[in-house]
Amino acid sequence: MPVLSLVLSWALLGLLVGALALAARLKPVSWGGRGWLCLLALGLASALVGGLLGFWLLGRLFSSAAALWVAVLVLCLPRLADVLRIRRASRH
Amino acid sequence: METTENNVTPDKPGTAPPFRPGVSAHPPEKKEWGRRVGAWLARVALALCFLAGFSLSLVPSGRATLRALSILPGLLAAAQPPWEEPVAEPITQSERTLNSPTGTIYLDIYAPATDAPPVPGSREGILLIPGVGDQRKDAQLINFSRTLASSGLVVMDLTTQTLIGNRLDAGDEEGIVQAFELLQSWPGVGANRVGLLGFSAGGPLMCLAAADARVRDKVAFVTLFGGYFDARTLLQTIGRRELTENGETQPWHPVPYPLQVLADTIAPLMPNNDGQMLVNAFGPNGRESLSPAQVAQLAPSSAAAYHLLAGDEPGLVDANLAALSPEVRALLSSLSPSQVVSQIRAPIYLLHDRSDQFVPVSESLEFAAALARLHHRYDFAEFGIFQHVEVRANSGFSQLVGDGVSLLRLASEVMQAGS
Repeated sequence: MPVLSLVLSWALLGLLVGALALAARLKPVSWGGRGWLCLLALGLASALVGGLLGFWLLGRLFSSAAALWVAVLVLCLPRLADVLRIRRASRH
Repeated sequence: METTENNVTPDKPGTAPPFRPGVSAHPPEKKEWGRRVGAWLARVALALCFLAGFSLSLVPSGRATLRALSILPGLLAAAQPPWEEPVAEPITQSERTLNSPTGTIYLDIYAPATDAPPVPGSREGILLIPGVGDQRKDAQLINFSRTLASSGLVVMDLTTQTLIGNRLDAGDEEGIVQAFELLQSWPGVGANRVGLLGFSAGGPLMCLAAADARVRDKVAFVTLFGGYFDARTLLQTIGRRELTENGETQPWHPVPYPLQVLADTIAPLMPNNDGQMLVNAFGPNGRESLSPAQVAQLAPSSAAAYHLLAGDEPGLVDANLAALSPEVRALLSSLSPSQVVSQIRAPIYLLHDRSDQFVPVSESLEFAAALARLHHRYDFAEFGIFQHVEVRANSGFSQLVGDGVSLLRLASEVMQAGS
């Protein structure tokens, strides 16, 4: 039961970070109309992966903190890739 | 969903916008500006989340702070709050005994049930002496040990036959060193991550062990809560019934228990039946005083010890200290951290209840001053939320917050060893 609560807290953290990423306009332009849903799902998934990795590598006390920074990092990546792609396209 | 603003057609350059009641002159620009500000605020919030998450999980000082934060509610509430259950490690409790020259050493070990996580690879260990008397079933001590173990530390509570008998004996140092070495080799514990924590009269014993040549380079830290620095100045304060704090003298009245412990400790060194008379006078059922006829029966050195404990000759404290037998003076010296402080290598953290009636706060102040003179790494904090070494039940919110911050600082320093 405590582990389930922990996993749920990572999921909630991921959704919150996903919502923040939406507000921060980190959704790539190329993702279209359903992009907001993809971003929330990415936040959820990356927080779960970060939490699991943190649980295994650092211990359960540090797992939520790991879930937090991993989720933020992963949510920035699509936007970063989009920016790089646009820059490369404008050079050519 | 469309809004009024979305229906506004963009104005052509060079033409004035037509007047429309209820619609501002530049709504799309204003809305866009608001969105931009919102986006930047969200980006700042994300950056802060990243920094906080990264430092609290990977940077040693951040990990120590998070661990300290996790144990603080459990310590202050004297019970682990239920909302911390998801992050609490499942723990095991076991008992061990060791044999030492002064008798049996009793160990209660609280440890996480799981293996140490790959980062940092090993756990911090804390060897703890809860003070004089048999504290093994004390609810606050059990909660304290369980809270630390739940946060990933291995805690070994130690007591000895001498301590259970309400006495202090410098010979217990041998048993403490044995327990320290056992904790160093405990599964999952890092050999260089073991520290000593002494409550009350357990503190001076920890100092003796921390100065021992066999382990002094291996002790990660020494934390002393409500301990004394010098048994002689402690007896001086008890005899005068006043303490000097920051140059100011104020009345100080000890509770009976420290008098009983001191009487029990020095009694075996007294001639004839003097020791028994002293033990009876300051024991649990004693009156803390002897009749003039009884005092007249005591040897001069025993009478001096009695007057110091009874506090009935505050003006003759120095003379009474000088009149103590050489054996008692040697015993007081052997039980004083002041005699070994220069041999301790580990950082020392001092905590003291500022209105402590068991051991005066002036002892920790003197300890801190000595450490400052020696340029020894240390930290010191006074608290109002404790009664000697136990959590006070009726602390105000502002005091709880103020002392909580100091406690967090010291706890973070202690947790550095395992982070």
